[in-house]
Amino acid sequence: MEKEKINLFFDAMVIGGGIAGGESALNLANNGYKVIIVEKDLSIGGKMIMLSKVFPTLDCSACITTPKVSEISRHNNITIFTESDVNSVVKMGERHFRAEITRRPRYVVAEDCTGCQKCEEACPVIVKDQYQYNLIGRKAAFIPFSIASPKIAAIDIENCTLCGACEKACPSNCIDFTQKALDYVIDIKSVVVATGFKLFDPLKIERYGFGKFKNVLTSMQMERQLAPTRPFNTILRPSDGKVPDKIAYVLCAGSRDDSEGNPICSQICCMYSIKQAQLLMGALPMADITIYYIDIRAFGKGYDEFYEQAKGMGVSFIKGKIGKITKGERGDLTLRYEDVSTGKIKEARHDMVVLSVGVLANDEAVPMFRSNTLLTDPLNYIRQEDPIISPAKTSIEGVFVSGTASGPMDIPDSILSAGAAASQATAYLKRIN
Amino acid sequence: MEKRIGVYICACGGNISDYVDIEKVKESITGENAVLLAKTTMFACGDANQKDMDSDIRKNDLNGIVVASCSPKLHLSTFRAVSERAGLNKYNYVHANIREQASWAHSDDKPGATEKAILLVKAAIAKARHASSLEPIKIKSKKSVAVIGAGIAGIKAAQALSAMGDKVYLIEKESKIGGNLLNINRVNPESETGEEIVKRLSKEIENEENITLLTGHRITSGSGNIGDFVLTLKGNNNPGEDNFPEKEINVGSVLVATGFESYSPLTGEYGYGQLPGVVTLAQFNKLLKGQNGMSFVAFGKEVKSVAFIYCVGSREIKGDNKYCSRYCCSAAIQSALDLSERFPDSDIYHLTRGVRSYGKQELLYKEANRRGDLFIQFPDKEPPVIEEKDDKIIIKVKDILSGKRELEAETDIVVLVTGMVPVQDDNTGSIFKLPRGRDKFYNEIHMKLRPVETAIDGVTIAGACQGPKNASESVNSALAAAAKSHSLVSTGELELEPIVAYVDEDKCTWCDECSKACPFNAISVIEMFQKSIARINKSTCKGCGMCLPVCPTDAIELISFTNKEIEDMIDVLSQ
Repeated sequence: MEKEKINLFFDAMVIGGGIAGGESALNLANNGYKVIIVEKDLSIGGKMIMLSKVFPTLDCSACITTPKVSEISRHNNITIFTESDVNSVVKMGERHFRAEITRRPRYVVAEDCTGCQKCEEACPVIVKDQYQYNLIGRKAAFIPFSIASPKIAAIDIENCTLCGACEKACPSNCIDFTQKALDYVIDIKSVVVATGFKLFDPLKIERYGFGKFKNVLTSMQMERQLAPTRPFNTILRPSDGKVPDKIAYVLCAGSRDDSEGNPICSQICCMYSIKQAQLLMGALPMADITIYYIDIRAFGKGYDEFYEQAKGMGVSFIKGKIGKITKGERGDLTLRYEDVSTGKIKEARHDMVVLSVGVLANDEAVPMFRSNTLLTDPLNYIRQEDPIISPAKTSIEGVFVSGTASGPMDIPDSILSAGAAASQATAYLKRIN
Repeated sequence: MEKRIGVYICACGGNISDYVDIEKVKESITGENAVLLAKTTMFACGDANQKDMDSDIRKNDLNGIVVASCSPKLHLSTFRAVSERAGLNKYNYVHANIREQASWAHSDDKPGATEKAILLVKAAIAKARHASSLEPIKIKSKKSVAVIGAGIAGIKAAQALSAMGDKVYLIEKESKIGGNLLNINRVNPESETGEEIVKRLSKEIENEENITLLTGHRITSGSGNIGDFVLTLKGNNNPGEDNFPEKEINVGSVLVATGFESYSPLTGEYGYGQLPGVVTLAQFNKLLKGQNGMSFVAFGKEVKSVAFIYCVGSREIKGDNKYCSRYCCSAAIQSALDLSERFPDSDIYHLTRGVRSYGKQELLYKEANRRGDLFIQFPDKEPPVIEEKDDKIIIKVKDILSGKRELEAETDIVVLVTGMVPVQDDNTGSIFKLPRGRDKFYNEIHMKLRPVETAIDGVTIAGACQGPKNASESVNSALAAAAKSHSLVSTGELELEPIVAYVDEDKCTWCDECSKACPFNAISVIEMFQKSIARINKSTCKGCGMCLPVCPTDAIELISFTNKEIEDMIDVLSQ
């Protein structure tokens, strides 16, 4: 017999609870529509909630994200499913989509968990912490990160040994290993796809030595080292815990690179690298920071001024693409590059290298749509049917795209795109009602 | 009523606690008069702490709350909302800024930063002792929006507002709609022409009953406030008629989409205005569009080579326009592609300062490279030099991409890729007193939290009047601004801050000083008790306090910032 499914109704379903999905949901909810956000991860907030500070204002990212996240999670018109997958979306008629959703078990009774972290202390299993981009470890019973929403524990069942230590330690008895996945049938009138982007995997560029040399990091790992909730409370290089004093940034790691299958510019890496360089100058005043670039794309409001400011602070900018990174003495690294200004091949020694990894399409939403095809562009981003005058319109009527699901964008552009998607979805809902 | 105050001191994840000893701050205020509890927290704005505050307020029946954290610009409303959820009137909440004013300002002096933070928190407590419940001022809102400017942003905003059910006045000073888009040959990525796009846009709005299109109209004055703006318009398309009738419209929100102007090069800038053949990008597009023959003919000769000089009027080293105009790199490349498609044998040079074809626009840059366009990058401080020699234009330029070698090229046309500048005739900006940023474009309140709102309540901004944008970026911002303006007018009712000035009628002798000082025209004179006294319009008053110090009889007080409250705070700070 088929398992019983829970049936719920909403005006709109937002797939993805990052900053774009959240902003779209909030706008729709403020217009009086009932919205469900389906997020695959344990917390909403997406990538933005993991960042340190944001360019060009150097606002603390958590300070901007947490109140938004809090507003979203408390809104009377918004229901949030974290740890959930959209299995299918089928268009049933003119004004009706049906989605099947699975809520994976967290093995923690959400309503009872107080986030006290006693289970975390008791758990004997240590695995890599994906929320700190593998810089440090976490337990198998854990709270994702300190500003997660919801801030409640979860059991990583893949790595759990079922020793029961967390159950014994929990003061509110909320750990429940008998929890099962719950299946839902959700009836909605419109869908907003806000599935965001993926980061380029630097293991693909072997010559940069990521994964082989410990002191080659990704920009997201550096972001975590600079965040207020940083793991080491200072900047350290992983091989020996030394405070680095000669840091290199390698721009366009996986962007503007046909050989990696990603010919386009990721639009954010120049600026986040310049931002990190400025933050590093503050954290490590004695450190030398060099940014190796092809072109600096400081195009947004206040961005070029921010770039000039970094130059003024003493960040070195060298126009040249890094050919190869090799290991030097004592964990240091040698960068081989063509210095464009002299036309010569040069080498430079750095004690830490940050790869400014690019943005790739996340096309996970495509197979969800069963009755109609959600088209993508040649780079696998969700295709905008009329990008200039109707930017949120997709190949399916009633399905809108918000944020970086349709292409690389920085945070301000994502938020505007999310507002646009909400406005088009509102007009659609108004029309079909 | 006895005050029972709860105080929360935020570490801001280290932003504060790295420099301010927050435990010491907590200790030093514990036991202060009326302080019932004091706590430190990693992130006061985080969900966990908000829940904690909620239960503290309920459990201890708190009637005053102080959070010592970042700037109130960021989180005043967050913590007011927490109070309200916990059943406490939000005006019993007082904010102390110990980040911008203590930890960040005094990162070189930790004990000093801590000492200052303690005083700031104590002063906030002194204010909280006076705090009382207030009710917001409720006003009716007109369910209509005025959209100023009918370029792509304005048209799309009007269409979106209409689709959401609002009445819209779309006001355009020119006689036709479309704005700058009409001067653009082709807009990537779909290669539609600007004119085609405008045609589609006008189709979208032509049968909308909700939209009143007023082309050839200028705004001559504006008054009122959020929910109730009154705009006077004058038709200007009949220059012969002096007595063209004025028109008055009444709207709940104003959406400004006045766009940009192209930078106009100075005479002599790269030979502009002196050498024939030196043109702006818009002029070049027009020239190209007008070509009907087999070869490109302009300025009385056949054009075989064209050089584009980038960043003219943008990223200036000496001039005021320090910003990047964002759209021009791709726009220039698009024009070059148009040229090579029409006249494949043209020699095309791009003299850049680093090509900024961000995102998918990179594909255009690749295509131009593939077609054999020559890209040269000149040093920021050594721009190309243009000379005339025997009817030809000679360009001398140093190229970073080939080891700063000096290159010389002959060309028939030089295209100055001009950036965007704010609209020079700032009629709209001055009527609504819209603040501008360093780049002189209109400023949003917060780039990420409130990107389409301005400091003037009820006035939103969209498109390139906020900063350079391409067509699709303008539309995104227009639709986002429409969503915001819609949320202000859709329910027909608005709540305003009750923190406004009020007049002590006995003390007031009407000297007019306050009304002269008021930047919002909120003060008028009325006759009462057989004398003239000042009257403050509560829905226009912003509570800025400018009128207070100029009053010779001390007749004006500001709710929630009374003399007594400020004096008590100063007493604490001067301890």
